[in-house]
Amino acid sequence: MDSVLRVEGLEKTYGDVKAVQGLTFEVAPGEVLGLVGPNGAGKTSTLRCLAGILPPSAGQVWVAGHDLSRAPVDAKRALAFLPDEPRFFEYLTVWEHLNFTARLYGVEDWEARGRALLEEMELSGKEKSLPGELSRGMKQKLSIACGFLHSPKLILLDEPLTGLDPIGIRRMKASLRRRAEEGAALVLSSHLLPLVEELCHRLLVIAGGKAMALGSLEDIRARLSGADAAQASLEELFVRITSAGAPPP
Amino acid sequence: MSFPGAVAFLWAASWRNRARLQLKRLRKPRYLLGLLVGAAYLYSVFIRRMDFRGPAGGMSEGMRLFAELSLVGSAMGTLFAAWVLGRDRPSLTFSETEVIQLFPAPVARRALLQYKLARGLMGTSLGALFATLFLGRSLSPHPVLFFVGACLALGTLYLHSTAASFVRTRLAERGTWGRVVRCGAVAAVLGLAALAVLGSLREHPVPVDLTSGRALRAWLQSMMDSPGVGAVLWPGRLLVAPALARSVREFFMALPPVLVLLAAHYVWVLLAEVPFEETAVARAEARSRERVLRASGRMTRVGAMTLSRPPFRLLARGRPEVAILWKNLIARKRLGGGFAVFLVFIVLGGAIAAVMGDTRMFTDTRRVLGPVALTLAVTLTVVGPSAFRMDLRMDLPKLDLLRALPLTGQQVVRAQLAASGLVVAAFQLALLAVALLLGPGVEASRLGDWWWPGGLALALLLPAISLAGLFVQNAAVVLFPAWVPADIGERARGLEAMGQRLLALVGTLVVTLVGLMPAGLVALVVGLPLSAFLGPWSLPVAALAAAGVLVGEVALGVMALGRAFERLDLSEERPA
Repeated sequence: MDSVLRVEGLEKTYGDVKAVQGLTFEVAPGEVLGLVGPNGAGKTSTLRCLAGILPPSAGQVWVAGHDLSRAPVDAKRALAFLPDEPRFFEYLTVWEHLNFTARLYGVEDWEARGRALLEEMELSGKEKSLPGELSRGMKQKLSIACGFLHSPKLILLDEPLTGLDPIGIRRMKASLRRRAEEGAALVLSSHLLPLVEELCHRLLVIAGGKAMALGSLEDIRARLSGADAAQASLEELFVRITSAGAPPP
Repeated sequence: MSFPGAVAFLWAASWRNRARLQLKRLRKPRYLLGLLVGAAYLYSVFIRRMDFRGPAGGMSEGMRLFAELSLVGSAMGTLFAAWVLGRDRPSLTFSETEVIQLFPAPVARRALLQYKLARGLMGTSLGALFATLFLGRSLSPHPVLFFVGACLALGTLYLHSTAASFVRTRLAERGTWGRVVRCGAVAAVLGLAALAVLGSLREHPVPVDLTSGRALRAWLQSMMDSPGVGAVLWPGRLLVAPALARSVREFFMALPPVLVLLAAHYVWVLLAEVPFEETAVARAEARSRERVLRASGRMTRVGAMTLSRPPFRLLARGRPEVAILWKNLIARKRLGGGFAVFLVFIVLGGAIAAVMGDTRMFTDTRRVLGPVALTLAVTLTVVGPSAFRMDLRMDLPKLDLLRALPLTGQQVVRAQLAASGLVVAAFQLALLAVALLLGPGVEASRLGDWWWPGGLALALLLPAISLAGLFVQNAAVVLFPAWVPADIGERARGLEAMGQRLLALVGTLVVTLVGLMPAGLVALVVGLPLSAFLGPWSLPVAALAAAGVLVGEVALGVMALGRAFERLDLSEERPA
């Protein structure tokens, strides 16, 4: 099956700093790819390049078959980017944010979908609230509701569980799993390794902007040398890969 | 290290690091150029006009009286505000960092209070320095003495406000009884002051003829010297006496009472001390929230925002960029910044006209209202692009959000410009309609035949000029984000930042004027030959041609700016 996201030789530099260096990977429909790495590894820069927010310094990105640099509008119409710090227009209400999103993506049945999403995100009754009146977790949920409204083929998530309470976390995990089962490809960046281990089919471990390991947890375990590698937890693997370095995938 | 030692280290390190950072910034040419321009501006506007050659010839008696009255009035106003205005809570303000770093530290409340008082007194000394730089030479022959006197006066007033806030907090804790005591005391003081002033007025009634400055001055002097008004103004005059001293001897004569007042206020603050932590934390959090809101693009007060209806129903089907126009028009309705500025402009204009005694505004409306509306419409052409900012200047701090939208750069730029352009044009056309319908019209002797053609020409031309101005200002934030920051509230500080802003302002004006030149030429080429046939009606034709050129320029500019927006990478423009 054709991949929803294809990345070839992605690079991003800020002045002299190379934040992302030569990333190459694909994500298939229904697949959840976990993007893990230490602070400053280049995860957020990678996600922002994939979302078309930052222009890559080199490399190519295809989203649902559309070249992000040549057909950015078609590519962006197929994706949703959910940042760790949700940004809203503080003068639009919750319902108006959904209306705004619906027009941008041409979602004709947005009202029914919007109501269902607000229900799913436990935001029913908050339709007339302004973002400034929402808690941190509610803002995160609104961001997710807006992102899911147009049923994107690719969902890019940067620390999606930040600010959610335990019930919200459980619902969110179920929601993400359901989107993947419905055929969406997910790229999920998080420091919460148990979440990554639970949800992701494959992992991309990056450090210093470079891919240190790519594959399923079992693949990575198998690739790492060492007597106890086979039984190592993701946390142990993460520490070993990012601190000592590992052969590139 | 003791707490005072830690505080001294904190201040010294902060100043050193800020200076280092600013020096480091100067490695970038844009900051160095900004510094040079800022310094040149500061020198030409302020420093060059100062005269440090020694004592001036002396201030006239009238000037001195005016200065003394102004300063005493300000001091009395501060005292009034401290006891009557604001809320009953400690006035001490801590930053969120101070709350987090200092409140859990092993430091007594008294030490925190003294730390804050020291900071406050440093702030008042800085205020005194600026007052000396800008006013000192005009008000006193001895700038140094003026500075010392101003430090003492402002410091005493600061301590008084702090102590008053503590006393008010204590009284408020006692409920209704406390409020009655405060209001009663304030009412008694105000009543006594009013009685004293009335008594003085009986002794020195307002002269019938106050047209000459000398008569006014003589009457004011006699009022101030009368026992009643003299007693009311005594604390304020005591306070400003060192700053206004005409000689060193006079300064030292006036100094002891002020020093005693200052010391007494300091003791009063310490004695009146109340727990201030809770209020300080709430204030720090509120300030932090405001800062976050500013950084996110727009300062808003959620509680104060009225959820007005959207300007139109946004259907899911249709051109997607209309969504941006829709949201920006909602922003205008709910944030209303531009309209508020516009209203202030009108109210201030009316007030100035009334104060200057121009009562025609209220009697001969036909002769005044039309020209006023016309003037406002033309002024809006210049002011409008700066006042109405529901465009890229408002949204660029949310670049991540804009860039993730499935829109081309051209679509984003076009839709962003449309909202501000439409609103400014709507105001201009409404004002022109008022001017044309309610003005003197064709009956006016000099206007006659030009009234309607001229009005129509302006209706075509003014919105186009405003659109061009809006485009230039939006282009500036996209093309030169480091020079022209968007509306993020937290602005870069320092002389170099001021110089940068000046350069950006001049650049914007120059580009706008250059952009207007082709339109002006086309208007001449079209209008002059036609004037022989159409007479005054050649004006709207020429205006239409000029507006067409301007709109064409903007359309071409939008195409280029759209591409620039797509390439815009703010991560590369972050200040060092």
